[in-house]
Amino acid sequence: MKDKLEAIKRSAAERVKETDSLTALEELRLSLLGKKGELTQILRGMGNLSPEERPAMGRLVNDTRAAVEEMLNNSKKHISDKEQNMRLAHEKLDVTMPGRTKPVGHLHPLSIVINELSELFIGMGYEVAEGPDVETDYYNFEALNIPANHPAKDEQDTFYVEGGLVLRTQTSSVQIRTMEKKKPPIKIIAPGTVFRSDQVDPTHSPVFHQLEGLVVDKGVTMAGLKGSLIMFVKKLFGNETKARFRPHHFPFTEPSAEMDISCFACGGKGCRVCKDSGWIEILGCGMVHPRVLEMGGIDPTIYSGFAFGMGLNRIAMQRYAITDMRLLFEGDTRFLQQF
Amino acid sequence: MQISYSWLKSLTNIDAPVKQLIEDLTLTGTKVESLTSLGSRLEKIVVGKIILKEKHPNADSLFVCKVDIGEKTIQIVTAATNIYEGAIVPVVLDGGTVAAGDEFKKIKKGKLRGEVSEGMMCSIEELGYTTQEYPEAPDYGIYIFPREVPPGSDSREALGLLDDVIEFEITSNRPDCYSVLGIARETAATYNKKFLVPPVSLKEEADCYINSLISVSIENPELCPRYVARVVTDVKIQPSPLWMRRRLIAGGLRPINNIVDITNYVMLEYGQPMHAFDIDNIFDRKIIVRNARADEIFTTLDGVERALDSTMLVISDPDKTVAIAGVMGGENSKVTENASAILFESASFNGTNIRLTCKKLGLRTDASSKYEKGLDPNLALAAVNRAMELIEQLNCGKVVKGLADCYPNRRETQIVNFSPERINALLGTNISSNDMKNYLALLDIMAEQTDGGRDGGRDGVWSAVIPTFRTDIEREADLAEEIARLYGYDKIPVTLESGSPSVGGRTTKQRLIERVKQAMVTEGYCEILTFPFESPKFQTCDAVRIINPLGDDYSVMRTTMLNSVLNSMALNYSRRNSDVRLFETAKVYLSTGKPGELPQERETLALAAYGKTDFYETKGSIERLFNSLGLDAKFEPCSDITHMHPGRAARILLNDIELGCVGELHPNTSEKYEINERVYYAEIGLPPVFETAKLISVFKPLPKFPAISRDIAMKVKEDITVNIIENTIRERAGKYLESVQLFDVYKGSQIESGYKSVAYSLSFRAPDRTLTDNEASDSMRKILANLETKLQAELRK
Repeated sequence: MKDKLEAIKRSAAERVKETDSLTALEELRLSLLGKKGELTQILRGMGNLSPEERPAMGRLVNDTRAAVEEMLNNSKKHISDKEQNMRLAHEKLDVTMPGRTKPVGHLHPLSIVINELSELFIGMGYEVAEGPDVETDYYNFEALNIPANHPAKDEQDTFYVEGGLVLRTQTSSVQIRTMEKKKPPIKIIAPGTVFRSDQVDPTHSPVFHQLEGLVVDKGVTMAGLKGSLIMFVKKLFGNETKARFRPHHFPFTEPSAEMDISCFACGGKGCRVCKDSGWIEILGCGMVHPRVLEMGGIDPTIYSGFAFGMGLNRIAMQRYAITDMRLLFEGDTRFLQQF
Repeated sequence: MQISYSWLKSLTNIDAPVKQLIEDLTLTGTKVESLTSLGSRLEKIVVGKIILKEKHPNADSLFVCKVDIGEKTIQIVTAATNIYEGAIVPVVLDGGTVAAGDEFKKIKKGKLRGEVSEGMMCSIEELGYTTQEYPEAPDYGIYIFPREVPPGSDSREALGLLDDVIEFEITSNRPDCYSVLGIARETAATYNKKFLVPPVSLKEEADCYINSLISVSIENPELCPRYVARVVTDVKIQPSPLWMRRRLIAGGLRPINNIVDITNYVMLEYGQPMHAFDIDNIFDRKIIVRNARADEIFTTLDGVERALDSTMLVISDPDKTVAIAGVMGGENSKVTENASAILFESASFNGTNIRLTCKKLGLRTDASSKYEKGLDPNLALAAVNRAMELIEQLNCGKVVKGLADCYPNRRETQIVNFSPERINALLGTNISSNDMKNYLALLDIMAEQTDGGRDGGRDGVWSAVIPTFRTDIEREADLAEEIARLYGYDKIPVTLESGSPSVGGRTTKQRLIERVKQAMVTEGYCEILTFPFESPKFQTCDAVRIINPLGDDYSVMRTTMLNSVLNSMALNYSRRNSDVRLFETAKVYLSTGKPGELPQERETLALAAYGKTDFYETKGSIERLFNSLGLDAKFEPCSDITHMHPGRAARILLNDIELGCVGELHPNTSEKYEINERVYYAEIGLPPVFETAKLISVFKPLPKFPAISRDIAMKVKEDITVNIIENTIRERAGKYLESVQLFDVYKGSQIESGYKSVAYSLSFRAPDRTLTDNEASDSMRKILANLETKLQAELRK
């Protein structure tokens, strides 16, 4: 019986070696270890042995079985590895071929700028407010301390609409609307479309975008205005950005200022972008004129505020080095897909 | 406003390098727009004295000159005939530059017919000017200095060419700065110095008094608060001196003659325009300031006939109009060489009225643009006296004693109270009240403490006397600005806002718009921005009209996005961009029909696509958009929208509210935009979406029990929509039907014409247990029966 086992083991080893597919290997396994397999037959014959012989012989049979199983398993692993490698070799791709893309949309560069600025201000505690594009003379001019017959109201700047209305010339119109709706503390920005009667050219457009800011509370100071706006430009243009405030005039702020930032193209040394001045004008600002607060129903002896407004088209154009404003409004996909 | 820096220097005794001055003035609020260094393009031009002039040995028309240029004598060959030995002339040396029209050219040493020429003598044109600015220069030939100038010195200096012209941006609140004196005051204040207007003194040498020569009356003091007149007799008209001409040129004005130049000079210096009349042309010697007659025709001194109306102000005599007040004089009263006596008008007119008059006439002059800003009536007297002083200094005539001054309503100084403590509180500074007083004094604003008490805090209440030329200062905040800008905006500390803490954010609507945009980007659409005004032909009749549009094509506010978006599509098509998908979220404007009432501004999404896409993909994008907003929109066929394909368009409904439509564009429409491809378009009104959209979706528990899936295929009449079929399926399905998924629609050879085959996969599930096959089969039987009876569907096995 021992010899028989040895023979089975030997022949199994040879047959395993000859097998080269997983199906053939499974057949071989059944013929050896299956219900009717050679080893199983021998195990059945164990009953004829004396009780003394059984344990030793049992061990021998089990050892043989284990040895055969190991051979089979090793071979299975070997064959499946081989088969997988063949398949993988077959599946080889030219990885230098271009990747496949699905059509991807893009936000307009101005939207990206508006979103980014809005996020910055939201982070600084501002709410986003809005107002209508078609405005009354009151909200666009009168309540902002721009009296009748002011040159700013000239037809050459303002689009007038039937019924005594205007297309708003500035997002500042949102200031009064906000003050009427909300009591201090007020802290809003209002990005939006504004209109001026300009012909279209590389640097002008009758439709453009501004972002207005308004803060009204007790104890709001010009020092606070400086602090807030410096924080904003450092976040937007980088920590190394320098800012300066120049006195200026706006009817709806007093004192008023314009804010310049150090030129991001040359860092302030002077170049073509900043016309050799080292500075780039970025926004207008100031302390809310007491008359404007009064118009908004807020007592200027108790509250003070600051306001600022900036042109977004220019910020977008500077940021993306766009040289012709008309590109923003054409909708050429070759332009839009770059952002 | 542009002025000569040398003039500014001579008034203020401030001699900062010009670049520094520009920087400093900008930081105190007088912003410099540009700086032009005159004469800097003219190089190596010295003064030369001709010491010898001989005929050229080889050329009849040329001369050979020896010219003393200081350090040495050089030889110059010239064709000029107006030169002579002893003449002092500008000489450009080898390598120097002269003007040649609007360009500049380099001059090189050379030989002319065998004789060395080491430079060139210059005409006034070669120095960049004409006989207009330098009347002593000959019409043809070399400029000869009319006075002794040392040879070898810089010709540019001798001609007054070395000067910087500074152009200022003056804000509308500071009409006083449209003058050299105003800028000088700001300049001195910037350097912490008090500026004093140079005093004026007159000799008044004429024998007569003005009362005997002229009388003035104002009919409309509203439009003419003040009219001052002075008279000069024994007038000698001649060119004005070089220094005055140079200052006028720097100020952007052309020298004419001494009388005109003096009025222009004073206009630059004081900011007060002046007009000169020949007194003999004023009938009855009476000046009457009145409104023009309706439909009056008047010829201005430029020879143009102008139609006046009764809102305009004119200067007249009892007989006729002689000038449009503050704008331009008349041909009938202009000063000629023969004038024996000249009346100088220095008046104050209502700025707004002048501006409106100019607009109506389409005529703006140097004078009117000064008046438009609104001038201080108290300037009129000082300015006319200064003009008279110049008349005497330049020897142009004799000034008549006295003046005619009609000033019905005197403008007085105003008092503005302020509290130093409140100003510091507004600025966030700690400026002492004494410093505040000093800053204000630099601007001619005299302040003093009037109350030591409680109201104004520890520094009390102060009163400031505002000079009449500063009408912009009306209240404390205005004084705060004056103090702050002289203190220095840069010295105001930088602090964090002190106000109440706040949480920023967007409104729900704003967040929904962001989400709509994001959804469209995910669907492969590029965002565009278009103008909201358009040609009326694309809009409905209730459009909002612009009164003064840029053109008819931009004259109404859009009521639909169609044309805006298709224009961009057309542009892309014409530029051969393939597979274009565009979207815009913007407003359309719907008039309420009530005058003065704001139109309804409706947020709208429009999208369009051509190229590798079709109706169902476009619709799919919209379905996913609604999905991302937690909404389920319905689509109904519609064939009545003229710009849409009658068989390929659907109305989009949300809870029975119509939002808009999606579909293929009617070929006629795409043809209009010259797009020869199928274009898919959708326009969706967003307000109903904002009302029901959900920014946050509520979690539904995952099913615990398995579903049973059954497929079903049927033949139905072609015109039965899948919407009807699905409704019919759901009608009798019972509560276990979970989903109905269309997976095939087939029309073709296997199916008789007029019919189609439609196949669905249905899924059944019970929420609380495993559904049995029998239950699913039960539902299926009811569904099939319903399809057969309602739709005459023929089931396919």
